[in-house]
Amino acid sequence: MKSLRTGVLLVSPLLLVLAAAFVVPLLLLVPTSFQEYRPGAGIATDSWTFANYARIFTDEFYREVVLRTIGLGTAVTASCLVLGYPVAYLIVRGDPRWRLPLTLLVIFPLMLNLVVRSFGWIVLLTNRGVVNNLLIDLGLIERPLRLMFNMTGLMIGLTHIYLPFMVLMLVAALQNVPRDVEAAASTLGSSRFHVFRAVTLPLTAPGIIAGSILVFVLTISALVTPRMLGGPTYQVMATLIYDEYMQLLDWPSGSALSFALAISTIFIIWLSSRMTRRWAGLA
Amino acid sequence: MIEQRPGLVVSSVAMLVILFLQIPVIVVMLASFSETSYLTIPPQGWTLKWFAAVVTDRTYIDAIRNSLILAVGSTAISLVLGVAASYAIFRRMLPGSEALTSLLMAPLIIPSVVIGVALLQYFTLVGMRGSFLVLLIAHVVITVPYIVRSALASLSGIDLAVEEAARVLGANGFTTFRLITLPLIKPGLVAGALFAFVTSMENVPVTIFLAGPRDTTLPILIFTSVEMGVNPSVAAVSTLLIIATAIVLLVAERWTGFHRFV
Repeated sequence: MKSLRTGVLLVSPLLLVLAAAFVVPLLLLVPTSFQEYRPGAGIATDSWTFANYARIFTDEFYREVVLRTIGLGTAVTASCLVLGYPVAYLIVRGDPRWRLPLTLLVIFPLMLNLVVRSFGWIVLLTNRGVVNNLLIDLGLIERPLRLMFNMTGLMIGLTHIYLPFMVLMLVAALQNVPRDVEAAASTLGSSRFHVFRAVTLPLTAPGIIAGSILVFVLTISALVTPRMLGGPTYQVMATLIYDEYMQLLDWPSGSALSFALAISTIFIIWLSSRMTRRWAGLA
Repeated sequence: MIEQRPGLVVSSVAMLVILFLQIPVIVVMLASFSETSYLTIPPQGWTLKWFAAVVTDRTYIDAIRNSLILAVGSTAISLVLGVAASYAIFRRMLPGSEALTSLLMAPLIIPSVVIGVALLQYFTLVGMRGSFLVLLIAHVVITVPYIVRSALASLSGIDLAVEEAARVLGANGFTTFRLITLPLIKPGLVAGALFAFVTSMENVPVTIFLAGPRDTTLPILIFTSVEMGVNPSVAAVSTLLIIATAIVLLVAERWTGFHRFV
């Protein structure tokens, strides 16, 4: 069969690259995560242990980092949803002339370098930063507020970074809501708010779920912004993995954490795609 | 009037949120013009000396060069390999096309930091750590999903009858692809390539584990210099990136109607 041969020829270069530089490296993390790290001596390859995985749940520090990461993911997702919905609504339902400029203003921060965006938030949020100086000048506070190296800083920075994804998902969902359904509801006497709550919101639910899953997954695996705004002490899972590998050289613990993170994200994505499929089946 | 328009409250909230999205950008740009050697907003005095410091500093120049080589190289390689694979999947030349697509998209789903540590350990074992080639291959892995996604989406939008017409008139497979299919999917591919380029340009989580001391990229340089305390030249190089990004986005928009592909 000629087309099969052509197909193999077309696919195999990329498959080889992915096998050699993606699949095999990930699989090699599995044995590492079951090995023992002896400080000073290195990684013991002769024994196998579950300790690296057990530690994620039993060690207080690890547990705190995991819970913080999940809490951060939930909070950032919620604030992206609340802030993103009005923006998407204005883009889709507002004056059509404003549509393109507004869309570009949403895409622009998305295209802009992540490090630069986080750096911008450092300038804004440090003790002698723009926000604190402004608040002091206005006489609202006397002493700088602590806006970085804590939950506040990470929440603001990560919300800023993942908000455009949410807006774009919601724009796509809102575009699919047929206008005449809303019109029908209002002719039948519904108030504006009731139309929104009873018609628009449920019809955009698939977009809300897709956007939320995306933002949640991106937040729990983010490294750059948490590191820059949380510093080396306020850790999340990704920054902890970074430190295990680069500073502590404890690769077994790092790879166990990596697997915990990767499996969580894959599970969440799998669950959401199942949910949306059922949703589509019901509609 | 039955049609629903956003009210004043919703519009104002939305505009404030859009302003919020631009604030760090504005702040970084302002900070880069200040005469002080620390970051101040509003800037005290106006100067271009930090920009001069950037364009004369070898570390910045080398980092910018490395970033560009990596981004252009990995995008080009991803385009060739990704479009070829997508075309085979689209024309159903192979069994298991759904599983294949999932594999090609998988680097998007696995957290970047996990890909980073996996490659660090692997290339250390193989003894290739610190080579520029390794960095290039890693960037191909993380950029290829964007190409595959845009290629598959664009291919599904074309009319197969046009390809068949070309075949009937005597064109072989490659000629048909080059003269008919490729021009039809070009706008989508340009958008995908742009995403790939940006992804490579800004990557930290994979690059930081693999870059040798001489292969520092621009985002790694900014990332590490922030940990050591910032000065306005970081703001200046960031401003240059902001301007470059804005230009690229506007050109891409005029050229392909970029926002439709996001």
